[in-house]
Amino acid sequence: MNDDNTKGRRRDRELDPRIAARLAARAARAAREQEQGLERTARDVTDPSTYMGPEDTLSGAPAEGRVIGESGTGKVDGLAKITGRAIFADDIRLPRMAFVKLLRSPHPHARIASLDVSEALAMRGVLDVAVGPDLPVRHGAIPVAQDETALAIEKVRYVGEPVAAVCAVSEEIAWEACRRIKVVYELLDPVLSIDDALSDDKPIIHDWKRKKSNVLRRVHQTYGDVDKAFEDSDLVFEDVYEYPASTHVPLEAHCAVATPLDGGRLQVWSSTQNPHYMHRTLARVLGMDTADIRLIKPDVGAGYGGKCDTFCSDILAAYFARKLGRPVKMAMEREEVFYAHRGRHRTRMWLKMGMKKDGTITAIDFKAWADGGAYSSYGVVTSYYLGVFMPLPYKLEHYRFTSWRLYTNKPPAGPKRGHGAIQPRFALEVHLDRMARQLGLEPADVRLHNMFGPDSITVNGLRITSMGLAECMEQVRAHSGYDRKRGRLGKGRGVGIAASAYMCGALHPVYQTNTPHSGVQVKIDRSGRVTIFTGTADCGQGSNHMVAAIVAERLGIRPEQCTVVEADSDLCPVDLGSYSSRVTFMAGNAALHAADKLRKLLVAAAADKLGVAPDAITCHDGRYEAGERGLSWTDVVELAESTYGTLGATGSYRPPKIGSRFRRQSVGPSPAYSFTAQVAEVTVDEETGIVTVDRVWAAHDLGRTLHREIAEGQIEGCVYMGVGEAMLEEQVYKDGVMRTPSMLEYRVPTIYDTPEIHAILVESHDPEGPYGAKECGEGPQLSTVPAIANAIYDACGIWLTHPPFTPERVLKALRKRDRERARAAAAQAQE
Amino acid sequence: MLPLPSFALEQPDRLDDVLGMAGQLGVKLVAGGTDLLPSMKHRLFRPSTLVSLSRVRDLAGIRQTEDGGLRIGATTTLREVRRNAAVRTRYPALAQACATVATSTIQAMGTLGGNVMLDTRCIYYNQPAGWRRSIGGCLKSEGKICHVAPKGKGCYATQSSDTVPCLILYGAELELASAHGTRTVAMADLWGDDGRDWLAVDEDEVLTAIVLPPPGAHVVHRKVRARGAIDYGLLLVAVQRHGPGGRAVIGALGPAPVQVESETLEDLPQVAWKASMPLSTHAWSSTWRKHMVRVEVKRAITELDRPHLAGA
Ligand SMILES: Cc1cc2nc3c(=O)[nH]c(=O)nc-3n(C[C@H](O)[C@H](O)[C@H](O)COP(=O)(O)OP(=O)(O)OC[C@H]3O[C@@H](n4cnc5c(N)ncnc54)[C@H](O)[C@@H]3O)c2cc1C
Ligand code: SF4
Repeated sequence: MNDDNTKGRRRDRELDPRIAARLAARAARAAREQEQGLERTARDVTDPSTYMGPEDTLSGAPAEGRVIGESGTGKVDGLAKITGRAIFADDIRLPRMAFVKLLRSPHPHARIASLDVSEALAMRGVLDVAVGPDLPVRHGAIPVAQDETALAIEKVRYVGEPVAAVCAVSEEIAWEACRRIKVVYELLDPVLSIDDALSDDKPIIHDWKRKKSNVLRRVHQTYGDVDKAFEDSDLVFEDVYEYPASTHVPLEAHCAVATPLDGGRLQVWSSTQNPHYMHRTLARVLGMDTADIRLIKPDVGAGYGGKCDTFCSDILAAYFARKLGRPVKMAMEREEVFYAHRGRHRTRMWLKMGMKKDGTITAIDFKAWADGGAYSSYGVVTSYYLGVFMPLPYKLEHYRFTSWRLYTNKPPAGPKRGHGAIQPRFALEVHLDRMARQLGLEPADVRLHNMFGPDSITVNGLRITSMGLAECMEQVRAHSGYDRKRGRLGKGRGVGIAASAYMCGALHPVYQTNTPHSGVQVKIDRSGRVTIFTGTADCGQGSNHMVAAIVAERLGIRPEQCTVVEADSDLCPVDLGSYSSRVTFMAGNAALHAADKLRKLLVAAAADKLGVAPDAITCHDGRYEAGERGLSWTDVVELAESTYGTLGATGSYRPPKIGSRFRRQSVGPSPAYSFTAQVAEVTVDEETGIVTVDRVWAAHDLGRTLHREIAEGQIEGCVYMGVGEAMLEEQVYKDGVMRTPSMLEYRVPTIYDTPEIHAILVESHDPEGPYGAKECGEGPQLSTVPAIANAIYDACGIWLTHPPFTPERVLKALRKRDRERARAAAAQAQE
Repeated sequence: MLPLPSFALEQPDRLDDVLGMAGQLGVKLVAGGTDLLPSMKHRLFRPSTLVSLSRVRDLAGIRQTEDGGLRIGATTTLREVRRNAAVRTRYPALAQACATVATSTIQAMGTLGGNVMLDTRCIYYNQPAGWRRSIGGCLKSEGKICHVAPKGKGCYATQSSDTVPCLILYGAELELASAHGTRTVAMADLWGDDGRDWLAVDEDEVLTAIVLPPPGAHVVHRKVRARGAIDYGLLLVAVQRHGPGGRAVIGALGPAPVQVESETLEDLPQVAWKASMPLSTHAWSSTWRKHMVRVEVKRAITELDRPHLAGA
């Protein structure tokens, strides 16, 4: 590589003074943790399955390989996507392929009295028909709550639930045949709302369960003495917030293709975010050995959490392919994607908070009721997420929450970007602004005043390592001109601020195991080409580029010199999947681990050849150098292969065993947390009620930037989705029927509805993240909606507690404001 | 994927051949197909034969008429209309209306004739077949009641074509041909008050052209939609001076565009508001849509005097 290309790249090799300070703080933290009863198992260096701890993650290391943090390099799989070369599941066409279509329930709650498929089966071109009892094994995302079957058995529980499946030689025949299936339903009283689910007079949706209740899970946690703390507060304020149901709307609809392999094996391609969990689920449901299924995730057109579960499409394609001995595809229609759902839980929240005159938060009492739909999906986890992240990022000594995750006769809710944390964050951040204003304090300062710093432990025992929120606040205020603008933009215009925090991967997988959460295997060809095998599931977010960049950085080559082979269970080591914002942190560490092993060999070979100590070697841009002298990448590879044999290594990551005083805290702990501060600027048209979000500034602490454009893209995407939830998106049901299961009427923002977005990257160099990196794909969405709500107040003096902020809701609130103002004026006149 | 039901496709290149087939059982005309094909996927129509108008030469193109007006062939695409210099300078509201239809890709396929003939729309009707089964269909599809006005016998699906309100104010006429001859009728007079039978054009008639008289008073077109693109109008407004008063045509309220006149221009918003009775045919509230009639007509009036650029 010639020198010109390296111009302008980062050459800083000095240790950032902030990082030096961090390293010093770390020793102090370890001591403190022990004091507080938090035990961290020391890394066992002899244990090859773990790779963690500050020394190894190169948190503060300069980007010696000149890959990390640089901008302008394309994603390794970018060109394939924009030229149409990428292969999505629905692009797969195989000879003799058959197609599956479904008959879905028209009723929200009914018993299936009879089901007659004979006419459908007799149709020309129909190969087979399946009904619920053909696939009796219950499955579900979380092993403790398996309540779903591919096709309804005995009962239907939501409008759109699959009842029967037809496999035919064409989609059209399968579709027509579905219409000839005769079902007789006995209608049951439907459970359609949070109140219904809590009522004793409604039927039980899962009447087969031992627990006769429509509450899937209730979680209650108390820390400190909340009631006492309220007594000691100068201001105690409570209100109710409603957060609507919304869904992901990935561009690609869910699709699966399955085909028989030799030896009774089965190959399945699925548009999934979590191939590993699906691999296990498919085997269980089909009664197969996991080893007999080869599961491949082709290119995926986004998921946002909507493709974390195993869907009927996956199970049915596999079932029919196995039974009929031919390839089978099931591609969902857009309407069906809305029924597959797993989107945001509609959540009602009650929040009570105490404050001192100076803005110090004394206590929080919080209740949340989540409308979860007919099946559990990740609902058990949701019930925890609704409460456990609340004490982030504020110092809080007294905290109590209760959450309910409820069953209703609607499509199942699940994990959507910012899973379970979006709703409480909206309530909290709006509530904070309201209380700050009541006390005559600047809302941004109140946040800073309450914020904890790096190396802290939250009241509920979450371990915080790196924490860059103070800098995020500072940057976002400076860039947006918040302090200059607040209250001074004139009629109908305003700014609002909000802060938030999110995790970087769940500490515990959904099933109990001691095996690594991420594995990566790197192999170097004699030609110098590097192949990375990873179980990660790139669904557009850039994890393929992430692993390539980390490996390239460590090996001193370019990402383009790496081929990434991902998410193929026959070829790649296990990775738990693209959920809980875990991939960069966990798979990134595994990639770093594997690359590091190889680098040691390569450096040793180069040092040997050049006659210098290994420490003297630097690796970048495909050169291994010691002072003036150097070797090319291919030479080093040949030398190393000659000395050490075939070059390959595996790396794995398992999060540290972070103990906690609170045994029950099994959901919520994460090896690291990301932080965001946002400012929104809005215009409110008081005559029409139309709110325009003009600009959003989002400063996000992502630990370390691995690729600038991808990181910024994630932040922009988060803000975009936040704007959708704030302004447009709400799933409304009438008598259990979803009103708008289409992309025309369920409205996500178009580019015209998207504000100018300013993404600001803040680096806090996490001690345990790969090269110090944390997540940036979910966290930045958390503060968008409250920032907009707070800006609307600044613009026109109304508090909106129920997104989306539609013109009608805005007008209603404006009228209420006017009535209150008139009343106040009248009262004053009387005095 | 949602499969399109199968059908036979005829692509005649002479109008007479089209007229020979139009109106026959199982036959539907298709121009750009941007309205018809999605509805076929929803199984709202199951024609056995589609007769495409795209190869009939004389049906496309824009030309001056002898009296100084314009004749726009029915299969001229919305994009061509929007970009046409004569339309932009002399009928700017029409150019703007074409530009607010859906998206630029749909404007490249969709035709002005198809736009005028656009089916009426309703949230209970424009839904996939399986969805409609869950509500038992409705009067306009396969059911027995109207979900918008359950006690009534009529259908209130809304006129949703963006170009219709301004075309009415421009005094547009439709040129209709059938095997029995041709006729030219004023657009303003064609509307009925039932969403199943909203336009007095017979099954066997083919719309051959939209004829515009020389432009009179300036027309302003406004569209209220939820998002900046793709969406059908929640409200369509066209306004024009009329002597000392004004005229307004409001679309997307019911099967027929609401046509009102006022003595003074200042009265127009109130008159339009009074005449408007939106129902719950849309996902967005009818109360707000009614509120917006007054606001939008008022805003349109302020634009009447503003020199402006046509066509986005
Ligand atoms: C996502 C989406 C968004 C849309 N948004 C809008 C919008 O905002 N505003 C809007 O106005 N429209 C909208 N449309 C509808 C449509 O695209 C336009 O109205 C377009 O102009 C229709 O023209 P076409 O040539 O495609 O019609 P076609 O679909 O070909 O035909 C429509 C109907 O008219 C009949 N027809 C067509 N031509 C003739 C003729 N010459 N004589 C007799 N009958 C005829 C057909 O039989 C059919 O019943 C949208 C469509 C989609 C898919
Ligand atoms: S107005 Fe009534 S009858 Fe007409 S489409 Fe809507 S629901 Fe059906």
